[in-house]
Amino acid sequence: MFMHNLKYSIKTLFRNKMLIFWTFAFPIILGTFFNMAFSNIENSEKLEIIDIAIVNNEEFKNNEIFKETFKTLSDEKNQDRLFNTQYVTEKQAKELLENDEISGYLILEEKPKIIVTTSGINETILKSVTEEIIQISEIVKSLAESEIKKEIMAGNYNIDYEKMYKEIIEKNQKEEAKIENISNKNLSYTMIEYYTLIAMTCLYGGILGMVAINQNLANMSNNGKRISVAPTSKGKVVFSSIIASYITQIIGLSLLFLYTIFVLKVDYGTNLPLVILLGMVGSFAGLSMGLAIGTVLKTNEGIKTGILISITMLGCFLSGMMGITMKYIIDKNVPIVNKLNPASMITDGLYSLYYYDTLDRYFFNITSLLIFAFIMIYISIFSLRRQKYDSI
Amino acid sequence: MKPDSYDIKAKIGVIFQEVAVFEELTVYENIDYFCGLYIKNKDKRKQYIEDAIQLVGLEDFKKFYPKQLSGGLLRRLNIACGIAHKPELIFLDEPTVAVDPQSRNNILDGIKKLRDNGATIVYTTHYMEEVEIICDRVIILDKGKILATGTTDELKELAKIEEKVTVEVNNLEEKYIEQIKILENVDEVTYNGNILLITYKKGKNNLVELIDYMKEENIKYNKIYSERPTLNDVFLELTGKGLRD
Repeated sequence: MFMHNLKYSIKTLFRNKMLIFWTFAFPIILGTFFNMAFSNIENSEKLEIIDIAIVNNEEFKNNEIFKETFKTLSDEKNQDRLFNTQYVTEKQAKELLENDEISGYLILEEKPKIIVTTSGINETILKSVTEEIIQISEIVKSLAESEIKKEIMAGNYNIDYEKMYKEIIEKNQKEEAKIENISNKNLSYTMIEYYTLIAMTCLYGGILGMVAINQNLANMSNNGKRISVAPTSKGKVVFSSIIASYITQIIGLSLLFLYTIFVLKVDYGTNLPLVILLGMVGSFAGLSMGLAIGTVLKTNEGIKTGILISITMLGCFLSGMMGITMKYIIDKNVPIVNKLNPASMITDGLYSLYYYDTLDRYFFNITSLLIFAFIMIYISIFSLRRQKYDSI
Repeated sequence: MKPDSYDIKAKIGVIFQEVAVFEELTVYENIDYFCGLYIKNKDKRKQYIEDAIQLVGLEDFKKFYPKQLSGGLLRRLNIACGIAHKPELIFLDEPTVAVDPQSRNNILDGIKKLRDNGATIVYTTHYMEEVEIICDRVIILDKGKILATGTTDELKELAKIEEKVTVEVNNLEEKYIEQIKILENVDEVTYNGNILLITYKKGKNNLVELIDYMKEENIKYNKIYSERPTLNDVFLELTGKGLRD
């Protein structure tokens, strides 16, 4: 009986064009639009190479850190190239600046100085890079002093200073890269949208659950009347329908992942298994919400679907689908809303994989989703048990 | 009967007034699904499905989806889904509503076969001619109350009509209608278009007496015939002729 109902429930769900559109096609279409819209924004936001000049005086020639850093940042082979640098005299630098051929120039005297005429983004970047190099220089200097002290204390007076500096700089650069790689905090607009898209797809699974349960309820559909007069356990039929809905939902979610990874070339990073796990738990939560709406509301399927889609879209909106600012505003002013919002639990779980080095927040969201799902299922069971029909 | 009285439920088949099938499943799959709720053995179920399809005459439509079927075929599928498990007690709720004459004929033939095979059928309908064809015992219900029970003949005896005479006559003058009204045993006379309808409360030779009267008055008529009251007349007699909601 269980397998018989499961087989036909899957068939009916897969052949229902309205359901397939909302749970399979719509997220893929939306994902495609996001890809088109946001990748353009990101491309347009890519920084142009900034024309600068550096006064090639003795101080600069003797400062390895400044010399190497600007060399790297001006290297044509470097994908992250920031500057087009001319090494000139101070006079030439002034002339270039007056003729608007450069955004600014750097001169190393007692302290490094940035000379600019305006205060635009290019000038700000040059200033920031310089300040960062100064900080790194201080760290390197401090580390070098410490290393020299160590060597002297150990009785080694033949110190290769150049080698030591290079080792310290390399070590420092590796640490920087490592920190950047782990935190990866520059999450793109597109990724944020894909996270809300995953949340939306998970919650749309509720439509599947709602339709499946409606087919089994005598007060909701003619098929439900026929099923209720058959010699079968209502629990078995309902349970197999829920499993069928979940299988269909997971297939829909898998298609979304496959499409975004292989067609849209979305990189979920090393956390893909955790992203998938959250998607599966989120789908369970979405399904349970659909069951609760399906059993509690005594209205036709069209209205229930409308309500479910509206709740889902509102949830996604509050969790940042139409702009991440909304999520921050809600989190700041009415945090309880997003604590109860399953879409927010899913997106927050996904953000946490990128923003935090530990998985505490991720598992907090997984637990929240499971609690939400079990509350919804409890409401559904309670509502189902209260439904009694006339007996012959 | 309780919801979990499965042994009793297994012997019952219900055909609802509204068509209850899955739009996403074919004719065969629909019957298989609903029959599968009763019959677990696949081979037995396969045979039962074929029998049901044959009974309602859907052999050529097994792979059709409900949307591809006409109203009549859809009703036949609805019946097949309800009786495929060969129930002993079948409830049919107006199974021939909005059905073409051919499909209605097919459905009634199928129901007669089920009856002849030993099933007890509870048939709900407004079509009295169907009742006369297939029902052994009749209950007339009105506003939830039983007005009469019995065989069709027993019910006809309850009606205060013994005979109905229909005369096809052109331009009959009012004075003749008034005179016919006062003839012996006449209960009611109506004249619509060229049809004169006379109902008699009792008597056996009413037709002869009417023919004699018309000959005497030299009234020319095209056609004249006598009928026994139908179940429809009984129904109207018992429930009244006023329009219902």
